[in-house]
Amino acid sequence: MRALDYALREGWASLWRGRGSTACAIIAIALAIVVLGSLLLVTWNVERLLAEWTSAAEFSVYLRDDATSEQRGAIETLIDGSGVADGREYVSKADALTRFRSEFTELAPLATGFEENPFPASVEVRVRAEAQNDGRADALVRRIAALPGVADVRYDREWLTRIASGLAAVRGTGFALALLMALAAAVTVASVVRLGLQARRDEIEIMQLVGSPIAFIRGPFVAEGLLQGGLGALIALVVLWLGFSAIGGWWGAELGAVLESGSLQFLPARFCASLVAGGMAVGGAGGLVAARHAA
Amino acid sequence: MLQSLHSNSQNAFGPRCTGSVIETQHLSKVYSRGLYALRDLSLTVGKSEFVFLTGPSGAGKSTFLRLLLMQDRPSEGELFVNGSNLSKLSRSEIQEYRRAIGFVFQDFKLIPTRTVLENISFVPQVLGVPAAQQRRRAFQVLKWVGLQHRMSAFPLDLSGGEQQRVAIARALVSDPVLLLADEPTGNLDPDLSLEIMNLLREVNAGGTTVVVATHDRELIRLVGRRTITLDAGQMVELA
Repeated sequence: MRALDYALREGWASLWRGRGSTACAIIAIALAIVVLGSLLLVTWNVERLLAEWTSAAEFSVYLRDDATSEQRGAIETLIDGSGVADGREYVSKADALTRFRSEFTELAPLATGFEENPFPASVEVRVRAEAQNDGRADALVRRIAALPGVADVRYDREWLTRIASGLAAVRGTGFALALLMALAAAVTVASVVRLGLQARRDEIEIMQLVGSPIAFIRGPFVAEGLLQGGLGALIALVVLWLGFSAIGGWWGAELGAVLESGSLQFLPARFCASLVAGGMAVGGAGGLVAARHAA
Repeated sequence: MLQSLHSNSQNAFGPRCTGSVIETQHLSKVYSRGLYALRDLSLTVGKSEFVFLTGPSGAGKSTFLRLLLMQDRPSEGELFVNGSNLSKLSRSEIQEYRRAIGFVFQDFKLIPTRTVLENISFVPQVLGVPAAQQRRRAFQVLKWVGLQHRMSAFPLDLSGGEQQRVAIARALVSDPVLLLADEPTGNLDPDLSLEIMNLLREVNAGGTTVVVATHDRELIRLVGRRTITLDAGQMVELA
């Protein structure tokens, strides 16, 4: 405990003494964590939105204008008996037109020039999450598409799948970049801590000569690295928060129109804590590498 | 006062030996290209003895002290301190051994960014002694060397003699059984040199074995203790 107390006090004092060079190491760590944090922020939000969209997935069965009530009944019987649907709703041609006019008020005049209502009647089906994953929803869509009276079936899962796979590629590349930057940050920390070590050569020699335990000799350098890493991570979180807030301020309205209001969120506390811990780990590793030259 | 400094139980290392504190048997240290810094040195230093180690530059005095401080390992022969063979000590045993040794150098080796009191309390601090004890013990030895009034000063504000007295106080703060001094008066004028030697004699009077490496023959004559003379790594005279 005394070794820890000593290491933290000496580590902080050394960090303050060499604050010029220390700033470089802190900035290097902060940059690495800003990259990693940005990546986490984007992927976490996109993953969350994908999950929301996936859980709210539904398909629409558009009926031919000449579809009979028997044909519609057969379609609905097949849907109800499949175990895929969480619920369904019949939207008549008139309902479709009303919905268009209320949801797209600026485009509403476009629908007034037709002699007949151009919108098809449809059956909207909310799909159970497990049915999306095990392929039963896809099978049902294919069966419905083949039924008489069906004009088209729209089940747009493909774009969700594409976003998910694109996200995985972005995440992989980003993590590789963040790892490289973390490595560079660790090397910077090690160099800065070694500078401090050179300045304290006499102290270290005396410590060795009086038989000081290794923990007392190396501890301050590891602590200095940990503190640099922790400070770098905290600065990175502040930068991320400011960036996130700025984006919200500049493009909040546009994003709100595309996404649901409040859909974008800053990283949760557990992610922030992990980033700080990661920064401290990188700094501590750099400090440990440097400390090995002390004793 | 000196007795009170040594009233605490002294550090011990290795199996206790009632006779000699230092014993060497055919001790040699060879540096690169076969150059002998010490050659076939066999000697003993008794408990509570005050011994001078002298000889010209390059005679092997500092090498011998380096071996005693475990800053270097012997190439040949054996080196025992208090019965422990130093060549066979593990890393943790070396740390334990060094806690029982005090050292004083010609260039004082004080930390310029710490005050006099902090320089002394630094030793118990890095040995894990509780804070209150560190300062109490540091003040005690500082008072013993007569520098309690300079405890808040920084080393560079002190004279050479005062700096060496601080270095001696630091060496004594861990209550060593053996004090090694490498040219402790090398940077001091004759009066201050004698003052430092008198201080070391007082340390020795308290029961601590003292080994002083110096090339100052006049000082050795004035103090008048056993002298081991080295030349080219070999013992040439024992007086």
